[in-house]
Amino acid sequence: MLKIMVGQGSCGVSAGAGKVYDALQSAVEERKIDASLSVTGCIGMCFLEPIVDIYTDDRLTRLVRVQPKDVPAIADYLQTGDDASVASLKIAAQDSAFLEKQTRIALRNCGVIDPESLADAVAHRGYDALRKAVTEMTPEQVIDVIKVSGLAGRGGAGFPTWFKWNAARQSEGSPKYLICNADEGDPGAFMDRAVIEGDPHALIEGMLIGAYAIGADEAIVYVRAEYPLAIKRLEKAIADAKAAGYIGEHIFGTDFSCGFRIKAGAGAFVCGEETALIESLEGQRGMPRLKPPFPAQSGYWHKPSNINNVETFANVAWIINNGGEAFAAMGTDDSKGTKVFALTGKIKRGGLVEIPMGKTLRDVVFDIGGGMRADKAFKGVQLGGPSGGCVPSELIDTVIDYKKLSATGAIMGSGGMVIMDESTCMVRMAKFFLEFTTKESCGKCVACRIGTKRLLEILTRICDGDGREGDIELLEDLCARIKENALCGLGQTAPNPVLTTIRYFRDEYEAHIRDKRCPAGECTALVRFSIDPDKCRGCSLCSRKCPVGAISGDVGKPFTIDGEACIRCGQCAEVCKFGAVRKG
Amino acid sequence: MILLNGKEFAFVPGQTILELAQANGIEIPTLCHDERIEPYGACGLCVCEVRMGQAPARLMRACATKTADGMVIETQSARVERSRRFVLDMLLSDHTGDCIAPCSLACPGGTDCQKYAALIACGEYRKAAETMKDVIPIPASIGRICPHPCEKKCRRALVEAPVSLAALKAFGADMDLKENPFVPECKPDTGKRVAVIGGGPAGLTAAYHLRRRGHEVHIYDKMPKLGGMLRYGIPEYRLPKAVLDKEIALIGDIGVQMHPNTTLGTDVTLENLREGFDAVVVATGAWISSKMRVQGEDLDGVFGGIDFLRAAALGDPPAIGKTVAVCGGGNTAMDACRTAVRLGAETVYVIYRRTRDEMPAEQLEIEEAIEEGVQFKFLTNPDEICGDDRVSSIRLQCMQLGAPDASGRRRPEPIEGRFETLPVDSVIMAIGQKTDFAGLESLEATNRGTVNADTATFKTNLDGVFAVGDVTNKGADIAIAAIGEARKAADVIDAYLDGVEIAYEKPFVCEKTVTADDLADREKRDRAVMPVLPPEERKHTFAEMALGFDEETAKKEASRCLECGCLDYAQCKLIRYARQYKADPAPYAGEKSARQKDDSHAVILRDGAKCILCGLCVRACDQLEHLSAIGLAGRGFTTEVGAAYRLPLGTSCCNGCGKCVEVCPTGALYKKTEGCKNVAVDRK
Repeated sequence: MLKIMVGQGSCGVSAGAGKVYDALQSAVEERKIDASLSVTGCIGMCFLEPIVDIYTDDRLTRLVRVQPKDVPAIADYLQTGDDASVASLKIAAQDSAFLEKQTRIALRNCGVIDPESLADAVAHRGYDALRKAVTEMTPEQVIDVIKVSGLAGRGGAGFPTWFKWNAARQSEGSPKYLICNADEGDPGAFMDRAVIEGDPHALIEGMLIGAYAIGADEAIVYVRAEYPLAIKRLEKAIADAKAAGYIGEHIFGTDFSCGFRIKAGAGAFVCGEETALIESLEGQRGMPRLKPPFPAQSGYWHKPSNINNVETFANVAWIINNGGEAFAAMGTDDSKGTKVFALTGKIKRGGLVEIPMGKTLRDVVFDIGGGMRADKAFKGVQLGGPSGGCVPSELIDTVIDYKKLSATGAIMGSGGMVIMDESTCMVRMAKFFLEFTTKESCGKCVACRIGTKRLLEILTRICDGDGREGDIELLEDLCARIKENALCGLGQTAPNPVLTTIRYFRDEYEAHIRDKRCPAGECTALVRFSIDPDKCRGCSLCSRKCPVGAISGDVGKPFTIDGEACIRCGQCAEVCKFGAVRKG
Repeated sequence: MILLNGKEFAFVPGQTILELAQANGIEIPTLCHDERIEPYGACGLCVCEVRMGQAPARLMRACATKTADGMVIETQSARVERSRRFVLDMLLSDHTGDCIAPCSLACPGGTDCQKYAALIACGEYRKAAETMKDVIPIPASIGRICPHPCEKKCRRALVEAPVSLAALKAFGADMDLKENPFVPECKPDTGKRVAVIGGGPAGLTAAYHLRRRGHEVHIYDKMPKLGGMLRYGIPEYRLPKAVLDKEIALIGDIGVQMHPNTTLGTDVTLENLREGFDAVVVATGAWISSKMRVQGEDLDGVFGGIDFLRAAALGDPPAIGKTVAVCGGGNTAMDACRTAVRLGAETVYVIYRRTRDEMPAEQLEIEEAIEEGVQFKFLTNPDEICGDDRVSSIRLQCMQLGAPDASGRRRPEPIEGRFETLPVDSVIMAIGQKTDFAGLESLEATNRGTVNADTATFKTNLDGVFAVGDVTNKGADIAIAAIGEARKAADVIDAYLDGVEIAYEKPFVCEKTVTADDLADREKRDRAVMPVLPPEERKHTFAEMALGFDEETAKKEASRCLECGCLDYAQCKLIRYARQYKADPAPYAGEKSARQKDDSHAVILRDGAKCILCGLCVRACDQLEHLSAIGLAGRGFTTEVGAAYRLPLGTSCCNGCGKCVEVCPTGALYKKTEGCKNVAVDRK
């Protein structure tokens, strides 16, 4: 029987997958096609959404950028088996490479199963690992397997998972809590969302195994409220798992019992910091607590608690099923297994990428991502969002591994990977992230509340052409002080985008400050448009398009721009057919 | 064991680094911690360098870090101090308030005007006098004659008119002088001896403050009585000498020994004073009238301004005739012209080369002189004083105003060929004063002919010899400037006598900008007008012209004060640490938070602009009073403390217990004083 799956992660939905699904459903019914139609999560190739996967017994036909108008042709194909009608929709070979070059463990079922179907999950080994853990293994043995696997926290810090589990297991006190941090807030990061939307049972199973390992009575997913689809699918998955007995009393007939619930956040980035998350869970204002004590000793309601990120949990069942050694076989000495990245920015093929540790940034950016759009020059990649840093093009061969990435000044982070090309102003990029952290600072500690604000003010004046001699040094000093004095990870890492851009793109800062010039041409206040008299044919098109009448001249002779009147909208450069408008 | 600042200490399990340090007398600063409240860690000021084992030292918050065996802690390393300074720089860059009221900052003596005004408003005259005498030993005198720079900066001017701070000073001090006046206590005798040369405002002030510190002080003055220019330069109708006498007598009462009729260079020399005393303060003033360098200046009937005033004060005025020309536009010129009127001159001119707007004299004085019949010849400049042996007339060059000069005033320029001649019997030149260097020859002089003294240490080129007041550097200035200098010098000299070298340093303060719009809601209340003798009456008498405020007027006037200065200045930990760690927020100047004042509560006044978000008030309300009337709202830079739903505190469940006020490290919270004005506690 034919199986049709429509990618309906948030990426697919926003590209119009819902309408495509509805049209397909009508067509299947009307033409009485013998096919099952279902949704699946994000396949990873967000740049090709909506994606329709058609499975026959032996092969997969992947149709991309499908619109409702394409449905009759798809129906023809389904009826006849002749794929000529859908030839134009079939995924191009180079785009297929995007998936083929990946190794999917955390994302193993994403885009493959129907996330709203427990049966589908179970058919893909769902809850096998949980059964194995609770019926065949002691909690200590589970922790041991995780230790062997080398799994480290995928939320960004990279702390060994077994160590945290063990600490919580050893900690006195009852009840204990197992918490999943699904408050994914980095701009440009959507790994966790994709996992929950695409394979919620993998998360539930991983958490239950963790709960068993530490001896928790309840598992809680703290998920950001901005992920409604993820919450909806997770709610259904929890209900299904409860009904099936995977959650609740005497799981698999053992003495292990565990409750499970969701807590939706209220939109504060800082609640991704584990102690702020706990405060928020307790109904308090989301502000970090002092550490120590660590949550393993005193966490939720001051009870032993363990917090891991979504992707970390998504790996757990696979590790239990395949053994810690199998996981540890991938990666480098320092970093084991795979890592999921959300690839965005000026890249040709953006989406979700899961690769073994030890690959290089070049593998991700060029082999998988296909390089820059419009073949512009690659400039750098921002890793780890606002807490991370920028790795410049000359370090493109850096190996993806916790230590190696840290050495560049960036961090592995939770997986946000924003690609920048020559048209990206690095000062502006740093400013963008500081705008974010300044807004998202909880306001508790001085270093973060006022320090980031002052950083942002200095960056803003540099972008506005008001930078002063000494501003770079002032930024560096402020950054050092903030890192040293801030209370939590948010503040301690907030200076990273500034520090790394200064480290690798100091000349760009200097150009802004000394020459009042933005080399990337992104800072409007510093951009100057002029007309090259040798190229201008005097067609007057720019003059007619200029919204403020700043361009004048006689037809047939070179035109000129009045710099005072110009509002730097750039329309003249866009419309000029002769490339006569210079920007810089 | 723990190694704390290089010394081994035993610790109690569970003890924090802060507690361990406190138990052993080591101070670690903190703004957000209170021992009754759970550690919170917001301010980050208590960071210390902490090392465990081989790991590199980290900055840890002392308030929250538990001690552990083998810890190595540094509480004052360069790294720690840098981090603390950063925290303070950041806090101050977002702190809006006036540590000290603008009036007080404008006063060269730093007199706490806000406080004495508040005390007068409350009827506490003795305490008001005590406040004044913290700086000025002769407030009743100064209150009468001071050109009051304080009032020029008084914010009440943005509402309608400044508070009459000078007149209030005179009032408060007069009230205190009436019976059993305030006499400060002096510290036990130190055995050190100080000689002060010159008994004017500077000398008296230096002597007064040094005596209070327990030193034996002798003042040497060449004139028959002490008081300097206050006695011999300021006419009786402005400052009755009986008032000055009383105040000087009180200085004598605390043990300052006075030696009038003792001229430096003849009766005593600098050298033998240096030998006989541990320190010498030169405060001889500027007693020579400047010359105008015009022809005829040496004729009979031409007098120097201060020479003329001194002769009048000594009761032996020169014969000035019926028509007098006074040259100059300053306060001395006003004193001279009005004294001439009182001595019986029928026509008195004031010759001034610019216009009334540019005159340095007080506008009120000009007004009063006009009322007394003085004629102002603006835009004229003496060109020649004519006469055979004696003055018969003065030829004036007519002037016009040109482009502004360095002082910002328009430069007077002669109109070529235009002159005016006035027949006069005498000419008084009140154009400036110079230093008399007699007896001071061993001191280094400036190119202005004054004594060269360091502006921060008041030291001269001779060890142990200090110089203050008009005799130094820029020369003659107003009395309160000399008093301010002497007050600061007293600290330096006191330290010197103790073998410590210090220099005066202008303390860091927060200041804010206030516009008329900010005060638009204030009720307009007229400034009290000083009652004076009518012109016709006062023209014929040297009796004091100002009649003084009555009690009711004074209290009402004092209550007009807007209380600009922070009422918690004395207890503010932020300013204390800011100075201790030499904070400087200037490089980080940027946007400040928009947190507002909340005066809605009956007893608690909340000034959000001074809040540093340490969270102590919120936690005290929760943990000590179990009320949670206030909480934090907003995020990041716009976070603020307030009642639920950002409603006014007055509408919340706050019971006014004041625990929040108690724990607030700054002036963001204040418990209102009932009835009268709020009086800040002493600044020291």
